[in-house]
Amino acid sequence: MSIDTTAPEQTGEVAVLAEVSGILRVLLDEYGLDDAEIAMDTKFHDDLELESIDLVGLSGQLREHYGDKINFAAFIAERGLEEIIQLTVGDLVDYIVASLRKG
Amino acid sequence: MSRILAGELKMHVQRMKPEVVPEGGPAPIVVFIHGLLIDSLASYYFSLGPAFSAAGIDVIMYDLRGHGRTERPESGYRLEQFVSDLDALLGELDVTEPVHLVGNSFGGSVAFGYAATHPERVATVTCIEGEPPVDSWISNMKYILDRAKTELAQEETITWFAQEHGHHQARVFQAVGQFVQKTTIADDIPASARIEPDLSALTCPVFAIFGGDSELSEQVPWLEASLASCRTVVIPDQGHSVLVQKTAQTTELIVEWVREHSRSVLVEAN
Repeated sequence: MSIDTTAPEQTGEVAVLAEVSGILRVLLDEYGLDDAEIAMDTKFHDDLELESIDLVGLSGQLREHYGDKINFAAFIAERGLEEIIQLTVGDLVDYIVASLRKG
Repeated sequence: MSRILAGELKMHVQRMKPEVVPEGGPAPIVVFIHGLLIDSLASYYFSLGPAFSAAGIDVIMYDLRGHGRTERPESGYRLEQFVSDLDALLGELDVTEPVHLVGNSFGGSVAFGYAATHPERVATVTCIEGEPPVDSWISNMKYILDRAKTELAQEETITWFAQEHGHHQARVFQAVGQFVQKTTIADDIPASARIEPDLSALTCPVFAIFGGDSELSEQVPWLEASLASCRTVVIPDQGHSVLVQKTAQTTELIVEWVREHSRSVLVEAN
């Protein structure tokens, strides 16, 4: 295990999960699902009932928040369209953490 | 989310600018048009969009009326209304140069409809598993929409979907059921304006991609004989979902097509 002492706190997994959860809660609030629990293993489709068009909105918000370093569309495109359905919040958080550290 | 008022509707549009600027001219503009009822721009946003942007193409994706995050009026779903929406959208986006239209399934028919009525605005049409809006298309659409309207209204169909394909798929089809029940789409699309089967209205180069197992691939001889400039590719062992099943191959084929029909030099696909 390595500890990256140079990484600012906001790029760690816990902070990113909190940030992503915040964005998701706003999205879910529109559907009246704002009390859903959001954790690393939460699935976008099965647990949060988000459709792929919601993930387009999420993608835009992530770019707004983190800038061009986060290209969620390209991240999913590399994995294939059918995998969207299996995607978890943790997959997204891991990707953001890795992208920010590459930074 | 980007919603802009285009014509009478607030339309959801997403644009991916070219990641690199091509040499020798402005980046070609590709407009992606998705399929009917269960589809949205997400089908492109998470597949072809990023690859096209990386190849130096200016990408426009939008949700058709009633779909995704574009407004859903109760009525007004004839093909010519989808065509007017596209024209209004391009106007709002200040797009003046001819665009490359890429339509999947019903989106292909919208692309053909636009090319037939606005030939000066279209550089090429790529149609994935779709049909030009001729009489046979009308009958195919009527069959599909009538089935959706009657079968998806039945509780047992949705329960069957849930058992066979899972909760998520059932929810998707339940939403489709509401779309066809609460709007006039099932009556409107079969009442659409159509073009003559000699396809003389289509003057731009056309690229048609089909799955070999799909009945739509039977159009190949007719398209090749009728259109002045036409290329067809039939991908073997594939049905209607070529775009989803063979995303990489479809991307490569269409980027190459746009590259051939563009003045500027695009980045090599890798």
